[in-house]
Amino acid sequence: MEKEELKKIIYELVEASTGKKKLKQTDILKKVSADQGVEKDEVKAALRELVDANTLIFTYFGGSFIEIPPK
Amino acid sequence: MSKKYDTPLLDELEKGAFPSFVKEIKLAAKHSDMANDLLGHTELCFKERVTHWKHGGIVGVRGYGGGVIGRYSDIPDKFPGVAHFHTVRVNSPSGFYYSAAALRDFCDLWDKYGSGLTNVHGSTGDLVFLGTKTEFLEPFFAEVSSRGWDLGGSGSAMRTPSGCLGMSRCEWANIDAMAITNDITHHYQDEMHRPAFPYKFKFKVAGCPVDCIASIARADMSVIGTWKGDIRINQDEVAKYAKTMDIKAEIIDMCPTGCMQFDGKAMKIDNSNCNRCMHCIAKMTKALRPGTEKGATLLLGSKAPIVTGALMSWVIVPFIKMEPPYDEFYDLIDKIWEWWDENGKNRERIGELIERLSFPRFLKEVGLDPHPAMIKEPRRDPFFFWSEEDIER
Amino acid sequence: MSELPQRQTDIGPPHYSKFLPPVIAKNYGKWLYHEVMSAGVMVHVAESGDKVFTVRIASPRLLSTDTIREYCAIAEKHCGGNLRFTTRHNVEFMVDAESKVDPLVKELKAKDFMIGGIGPRISNIVHTQGWIHCHSAATDASGLVKAIMDDVHEYFTDKELQNKVRIAVACCVNMCGAVHCSDIALVGVHKTPPRIDDMNVKNACEVPSTIASCPTSAISPDPAKKSVKIKLDKCMYCGNCYSVCPAMPISDAKNDGIAIVVGGKVSNLRSNPTFSKLVVPWIPNNPPRWPEVTDAIKKILDAYKAGAKKHERVGEWIDRIGWEGFFRATGFEFKIQHIDDFTFARETFRMAATFKWT
Repeated sequence: MEKEELKKIIYELVEASTGKKKLKQTDILKKVSADQGVEKDEVKAALRELVDANTLIFTYFGGSFIEIPPK
Repeated sequence: MSKKYDTPLLDELEKGAFPSFVKEIKLAAKHSDMANDLLGHTELCFKERVTHWKHGGIVGVRGYGGGVIGRYSDIPDKFPGVAHFHTVRVNSPSGFYYSAAALRDFCDLWDKYGSGLTNVHGSTGDLVFLGTKTEFLEPFFAEVSSRGWDLGGSGSAMRTPSGCLGMSRCEWANIDAMAITNDITHHYQDEMHRPAFPYKFKFKVAGCPVDCIASIARADMSVIGTWKGDIRINQDEVAKYAKTMDIKAEIIDMCPTGCMQFDGKAMKIDNSNCNRCMHCIAKMTKALRPGTEKGATLLLGSKAPIVTGALMSWVIVPFIKMEPPYDEFYDLIDKIWEWWDENGKNRERIGELIERLSFPRFLKEVGLDPHPAMIKEPRRDPFFFWSEEDIER
Repeated sequence: MSELPQRQTDIGPPHYSKFLPPVIAKNYGKWLYHEVMSAGVMVHVAESGDKVFTVRIASPRLLSTDTIREYCAIAEKHCGGNLRFTTRHNVEFMVDAESKVDPLVKELKAKDFMIGGIGPRISNIVHTQGWIHCHSAATDASGLVKAIMDDVHEYFTDKELQNKVRIAVACCVNMCGAVHCSDIALVGVHKTPPRIDDMNVKNACEVPSTIASCPTSAISPDPAKKSVKIKLDKCMYCGNCYSVCPAMPISDAKNDGIAIVVGGKVSNLRSNPTFSKLVVPWIPNNPPRWPEVTDAIKKILDAYKAGAKKHERVGEWIDRIGWEGFFRATGFEFKIQHIDDFTFARETFRMAATFKWT
């Protein structure tokens, strides 16, 4: 799968989860890898690009999560 | 011009013999508005007997999910200098040795970008830079990382590993604690900087069972140096100790396994019965030395009481050679983390997970063989599991 | 702001070999033995015959850049520019000849640094952030440490005990300092449940993870308010929910205080590593000097000093005289809170008819 497409899927997953359930990095890797049939490492690489670009960020509330940065 | 605060309660703690943290805040307050407001803020906490700090949450440096602890005052209007007061954790070098030049460099940077206050070190062993504003995080990180330093861990990640000073200045070190600490740190940079675990994971490396780094109480993975073979005895030095120390009372009678004898001339040790507690070696440093086949015992699971009670690490590998490139060790760690990732809940430490799912299951699933060194005593109940291959059909 | 240098990521800390004093680098892994020369000076002797003399001083852990620069100046003047820190926040200056010890000690004394902490004494206290920086602190840490060490500093600089007495302070039960295996530890505790700010729970917290955070299942959903409820008789005030949900503040100035636990150790010397056990369930916060706390510590130390045998740690002494003996020796009141009703409770009940009268 194209990395850009994977990035879009990850972003949409985080977006859909916002306000409902905070996702941990491992939640995203497990879900996207299972849904799309790609290796976790591939999902991880795509996620890392999103975080490096500040499109998604790590947050901490009694545990570390991946979220969309506040406006 | 910064505001002058009256601090009668804190001033009390400038008095007395021991070095004063209040003096330190006041020194920093001379050149930092943040430190100056910290003084007023802390005085108010002392007066009201309650903290005025709020949760952090979302500050950090780009790309990392750790290394910065966000902190805000709940009374920012009164104390604008500490409205943001974030902490930056910089990964310390193994053994906590520094050059004056490197420390001075940090001082200059922290006077420029932060409050001028630090902890050397924080509890986990990071160089803690205490108190800065959100907009200074990136510049400080750029300055620090361009000088060859990096941030430590925070959140649900591998935390900054730490170790004792090991072979650098201690004759008891059975493993190269500083080299191992440094290697783990570099091996797992991604796991430190991009939190991917159910909760925190700490490594601490102790050169011997004296455990000066307290690994058994506060590391999820405690690496404790140990040895096989006979304690080396220098009988001439034993004879010298006999003149200044009551060897029977202080050594022989205090040996927990009763494996030592001293007839007034020579010392004998039944090494097969020794449990390597280090008491005799620690009290007769010139006469006794650990055996020569060196390695480590790996123990897993310790943590503070949050949330179902404190745990100490327990033995999972009785003996492992800890020599570069540490392949066997890293293979095991990777398996443990994979198992934790599969089964762990948010905020569940590895020790708690093993308690919840069972130690035998952990051993089976990560591929470790059971060994009497892992337990204090066998189970007392008759309720145990069998596998399909144990059953006759 | 001037041009910033290029940031780097995932480079890790610099290699420790850059910071080792030459005598340490030369004899790495080849040390033969060491001797404690005084409360603040020890010598390590290498197989080569080389010696390194270490002089240890106390730091307040919270350090200004000014004081760190002072340490640096001393290291440059006397030690070839290197220094190190211990896990208990002491600073160590190392020299490679005995003749260099006296000038170093003289300068440290002249600058009012406190030399000591080596051998069977009280070393520096490990502690957490407290009111200096922590949102979940039930007490201060630096203030308590200062008050205690002012009281017992002679055991740092001079006087000997039967063995080391390791003291630790954690400002809440999260114990980021992991103080639970110390000879004497203080821990900040709450006595009242968190207060629920329903509006903020709704906006800032995830209800399922807040419920899951409670170790005693005291928290349940309150669907009408999109918030949570607490079953008050189940709450044991750990504050774990507050870590997960900021809308459940638990600090309470009148009821937060300090518990004292004793008898723990981490070393394997003689007896196994041991957890510290509760001896005083609650002392009110009484800053700036917490006199009730320092009195209690003095009682523990006096009893230990009077009763322990040489080389016995606090826990080993108590093991020998029994906890009933400890309460007798210190005069501490035994209360219902001392009896465990949590995870490991059953292991702590006395399943024998052998005990000592108090």
